[in-house]
Amino acid sequence: MPKQLYLLTRNLHLYIGLFLSPFLLVFAASVFFLVHSRSSQPAGSTRLASDLALPAGIERLHGREQVAALRPVLKQIGVQGEVNYIRSIPKEHRLVLPISLPGRETLVDLNLLQRTATVVESSTGLAGAVVHLHKMPGPHNANIRGNSTYMRVWRWLADIATYGLLFLTLSGIYLWAVLRAERRIGLALIGAGGISFFGLIYAIVH
Amino acid sequence: MPSSIEQARNGPHARRIRDIISVWNRKGHYYLGLYFLFFLWLFAFTGLLLNHSWSFAEFWPTRTVTKFVREVRLAGSSGDLERARQVMQQVGIQGEIEWTDAKVDSPALAFRVARPGWTWQVNLNAESTSATVEQTAINNWGVMRVLHTFTGIRAGDLRNDRDWILTTVWALSMDAVAAGLGLMVVSGLYLWIGIPAKRTLGAIVLLLGSLVCAFFVVGLWLVY
Repeated sequence: MPKQLYLLTRNLHLYIGLFLSPFLLVFAASVFFLVHSRSSQPAGSTRLASDLALPAGIERLHGREQVAALRPVLKQIGVQGEVNYIRSIPKEHRLVLPISLPGRETLVDLNLLQRTATVVESSTGLAGAVVHLHKMPGPHNANIRGNSTYMRVWRWLADIATYGLLFLTLSGIYLWAVLRAERRIGLALIGAGGISFFGLIYAIVH
Repeated sequence: MPSSIEQARNGPHARRIRDIISVWNRKGHYYLGLYFLFFLWLFAFTGLLLNHSWSFAEFWPTRTVTKFVREVRLAGSSGDLERARQVMQQVGIQGEIEWTDAKVDSPALAFRVARPGWTWQVNLNAESTSATVEQTAINNWGVMRVLHTFTGIRAGDLRNDRDWILTTVWALSMDAVAAGLGLMVVSGLYLWIGIPAKRTLGAIVLLLGSLVCAFFVVGLWLVY
């Protein structure tokens, strides 16, 4: 039984690790951009769309209802992605929506009276794509987050990667603990890691 | 008859080098994992907290806010950063300075000081004689969430820079964890390659993961 458990754990550790390895590389690589890059969004190309068919009363809607009502409008102007939030400017009858896809940011400025939209699209490249995926879905605008199909799927994948990583650490501990010759040095490394971790957090928080 | 290149590849010396690499690759894989264990748990768990906003981990509604005023005395007419540091020292707070308005070198000064668990909004009066401080404290769930994102800088914000040594140390530890994770992935792939019986199924699983991941990283951008 212990041998079967060992073999099962080893196989799961291997195959789950292999499946997750590209995701873990994306999360790891994006850390360097998040921690060190301060570059702002590159300037984008601007175009104007006119004669738009706008649903009635779109200004009065809120949250997911408003996003759902705006989807056909976004389709008319050829914009796809996750609506980050909607800023309403009632005096000017305008709605401003930043929309994201990995590697691309689009700002749509809808003029509801003139039925026009100014669309500014900018490419954020590979670095922008991995940073976006690292931060999504995230804690902000939770009431509308997941309004695009890709974000709903990515939410699942991000969870799978995280729970998978937790499984890899636990199964890794088990696989290490079986190796008697490595126990002492392993314990020393856990201890050193623990001292660095808790020591650093103590210094930062207190 | 094997060629001289094949003999060199399969000779005892080459085999010994391969064995040494294999052994140290295996050791490196779990040594890194064991050293970074607590860091990986923190970043994985706080990643879940950030993505799910679970009600048990709420921290903002339970925050405590206190306000106090302190007399300060600033030496010289140095720049904003130096003045802010003098105020912080006299008020008794430490952390990462965040500039919250566009005022530069004016007699009045407003800035925020942050560290995981604490935020202080500091307003220095125009005479530079007293500082009003609003202190916000959050619970341990909030501390954990902030640790996940505590880098001292923000994309597109060129005014703020890391100016607290512990922010820099924490940012470097994030780098180290990311580099360690990358190395563990690479060493794991090397370990897998060394098991011929698992190569086919492993390649299928790796390909599947790579295709799904690549679709999100570059595929969506290309399709739309």
